Amino acid sequence: MAIEFQKGSSLLHELDARTKLLMFIGITLLAVIIVDPIIMAIIFALLYYLGTKAIDTKLLNKNLRVLVVIFSTFSLFQILFFTPDNSYFLFHLIPFTELVPVTVQGIIRGVAVFFRFFSVVLSVHLMLYTTAPVDLALTITKREKDFQLRTDLLISLLIGAIFFVISLLEFNQEIKSIALSPILQYLIVFVACLLLSFLVVRMASHGLPPEMGVALTLGFATVGILSKQTQKITDAQKARGYDVQPKNLIKRIQVLTALLLPIFVATLERSQDIAIAILSRGFDYNIGKRTYRRQLVFHRIDFLVMGVIIILILGSLSLNYLNIGNPTEQAILSLLQG
Amino acid sequence: MTIDIEFQNVTFYYEGSNTPALKDINLSIKPGEIVLITGPAGSGKTTLCSCINGLVPHFHEGNFEGNVLVRNYNTKKARIGGLASLVGMVFQDPESQLVTSSVADEVAFGPENFGIPRQDINERVETALKATRLQGYEEREPFNLSGGEQQACVIASVYALQPEIYVMDEPLANLDPAGRAQVLRLIVDVAKKRGKTLVIVEHALEEVIPLVDRIVVMHQGEIVRDGTVEDVLSSGDLPQVFTRPPIIRLAEKFLHQVKPMTPENFYEEISSRHRLGTVQADNSTSGEPNVNRDPIIEIKDISYSYNQEKEALKKISLTIQEGELVALLGRNGSGKTTLVRHIIGLIKPSEGKIFVRGKDVAITPTHELAQDVGFCFQNPNHQIVTFKVREEVMFGLKAHNVPPSEYEERIHDALEIVDMLDYIEAEVFDLGKGQKQRLALASVLTLKPRILIIDEPTTGQDPQMAEGIFNIIKNLNEMGTTVLMITHQMEYAANYAHRAIVLRSGEIKFDGPIKTLISNRIFMEENYLDLPEVTKIAGQFKEHGIPSWLVKIDDIIPYIQNILPKID
Repeated sequence: MAIEFQKGSSLLHELDARTKLLMFIGITLLAVIIVDPIIMAIIFALLYYLGTKAIDTKLLNKNLRVLVVIFSTFSLFQILFFTPDNSYFLFHLIPFTELVPVTVQGIIRGVAVFFRFFSVVLSVHLMLYTTAPVDLALTITKREKDFQLRTDLLISLLIGAIFFVISLLEFNQEIKSIALSPILQYLIVFVACLLLSFLVVRMASHGLPPEMGVALTLGFATVGILSKQTQKITDAQKARGYDVQPKNLIKRIQVLTALLLPIFVATLERSQDIAIAILSRGFDYNIGKRTYRRQLVFHRIDFLVMGVIIILILGSLSLNYLNIGNPTEQAILSLLQG
Repeated sequence: MTIDIEFQNVTFYYEGSNTPALKDINLSIKPGEIVLITGPAGSGKTTLCSCINGLVPHFHEGNFEGNVLVRNYNTKKARIGGLASLVGMVFQDPESQLVTSSVADEVAFGPENFGIPRQDINERVETALKATRLQGYEEREPFNLSGGEQQACVIASVYALQPEIYVMDEPLANLDPAGRAQVLRLIVDVAKKRGKTLVIVEHALEEVIPLVDRIVVMHQGEIVRDGTVEDVLSSGDLPQVFTRPPIIRLAEKFLHQVKPMTPENFYEEISSRHRLGTVQADNSTSGEPNVNRDPIIEIKDISYSYNQEKEALKKISLTIQEGELVALLGRNGSGKTTLVRHIIGLIKPSEGKIFVRGKDVAITPTHELAQDVGFCFQNPNHQIVTFKVREEVMFGLKAHNVPPSEYEERIHDALEIVDMLDYIEAEVFDLGKGQKQRLALASVLTLKPRILIIDEPTTGQDPQMAEGIFNIIKNLNEMGTTVLMITHQMEYAANYAHRAIVLRSGEIKFDGPIKTLISNRIFMEENYLDLPEVTKIAGQFKEHGIPSWLVKIDDIIPYIQNILPKID
């Protein structure tokens, strides 16, 4: 099932394409950081709720249903093979033997893994369902400067600060091992984070060359026409008397080659047509100075969503730092032992 | 005096071709001039247009001699993109020119390329959509629009470039009558009324001649006539190259003057000069030829919908007898194609039953039905699966397990019917569009189908090619094949078919003799059907007893002669 853009006016649709891209990256990070199954499940549920608001629930489920099986297998593997030392032993999966022990930690890990995978996949789905492909292509295309140097600096500073906090929480030991006075240690780390954020901002604003970006948008727009065309060709061959889905495998391949030539020719013609059409409308006028009608604007809601995600990331990092990153496990264990 | 476009001794050979596409062309077009370029397929019209915006020689490479100057820029030295700010191009097939995913993006595409600030782009999009009457279509997907709307969208996107020169290469060819009317109105709005230079290539002379100042006729890469409308029209027809519209020929014959006029004008002029009599004519519109009365296709109460919202077909019942030649008419989206697809099982009806030669389509697989029903599609490229003409024609025989001993005879017969025997060893992709269409027809005919279904066989072809195809269809019908054809070309339909079926919004609105149909002007207009030119003229003389279903110019001439006062 291809994931196609669905028109709408939900919260997700209103978000800027860049926010959604960052949201996807943020959720992926969260899925790596968070180990607790319940927190992860809450994030998943939240995403799913947003999804049901944005697109048809049936459509959303249709694509996710297939994945349930795959991800369940993943979690099963976790349950079976994740047996750290001094974990709380429950039972052996194969009775009357010492094989495949199942532990509390394993089960908790398994459930968490299930939601972690699902959240990442769901966030990709939501991004693709609610963002026009053209806008997505634009986010990664180089365009005329919208930002002033000052805003650029401000963003870099903000991202740098976030990096700094992350490194404080995650790599505290490593920082302390730098052979300098404590203040200098932190200063160096801060400067390094700033440098990194500048680099990120630079790279992000660089993007694809406009030729590629426009080619990408044209490609997205052509998908509909090409699929229509393929349908027409298949029909034409059927009408000519070819059994398009014969039982015999060799015949099936023969039929496929019969379809391929007209599809190939039609696609070639289409690309030629597009080339003529865009050249006739000034595509090679001055591609570097190209402007864009579509405007990507951050609204308050975008900042809000980004803020929530940053807080979630920082929050989950601090939980890990304070050794309370997995409250569910701790609660269950204390219940069992108590 | 300034000149907008100037061709100086231009000769052009496409790469790998030995025959020139353009041969020593000299042509100059003044600002604000409206020029019609016409001529048979392959006469170099499109190449000429492509020279104006630099596609020749920058995109289509080849051997280019001479100079083309556009507002004093030599196209050899200019970029296509630069010329685009002066020259707006509109081509034949609107779908092939739409490249983005919304109407607003489409219109903005050109201005974006020119690096125009966003504010101005938005203004240009707005004015362009207003000029082309497409307001409210901003977020629609271009490939889901009707043909006329698509072409309007193309014109809007060219309008947004604000060019001084418009070049339109058969902008009407792929459209149904309603779309043609819409686009023709726009051409007048965006170019003529605003005094822009316009070069238009068209075969639909009746519709375009009243708009233009000058006519250029091309043949085999050369300009064979060039002059004002009156000059070119009064110098007569060129067989196979340039046939003047019937009204011009009638005016020449009976009024001794040559100028564009409407049927109403013609009638007024002729009746003011002469006292017209009346004729006693056989005005019955039935007069069907003897057909075998065995039903061959039976459609019983079928309904079908693509989605829940709208039904594409509503309770259609229809019987087609063996040996009939039926024209299926109606505007785009009326359900014609959906209906014929049912006959060969490409679509299964939601309700109702269809029988083809007694077989229930619902339980008979399409490839089995294909032995009885030959199906020809609009675009022959979608059907062609091999590189050689012989292999192409043979392909169907193999798929249907015809004994190889019969191959040669069947191939020979099929190619003979479509008059392509000389091309039996040719490469498919060397053939022209009309020849490909005939080849596609031949490969269907090898299976000797009893029924032939043809979906718009002449889209985008010149009158000669179209007539060729219709003659083949007529021959087949006379040999006993039942033919069901979808077409927008009323003139041919009325000339060749006996029975007409008109669909509108998925319902049959008319089913009967085609002569009865074209006699009913009001009904024709309501259903966006084009009245053939001669029929329009005949309608004017209704009170004088001339049958109002005449289609051919040769049929109407004796009638008019009869009602004119005898001179001797």
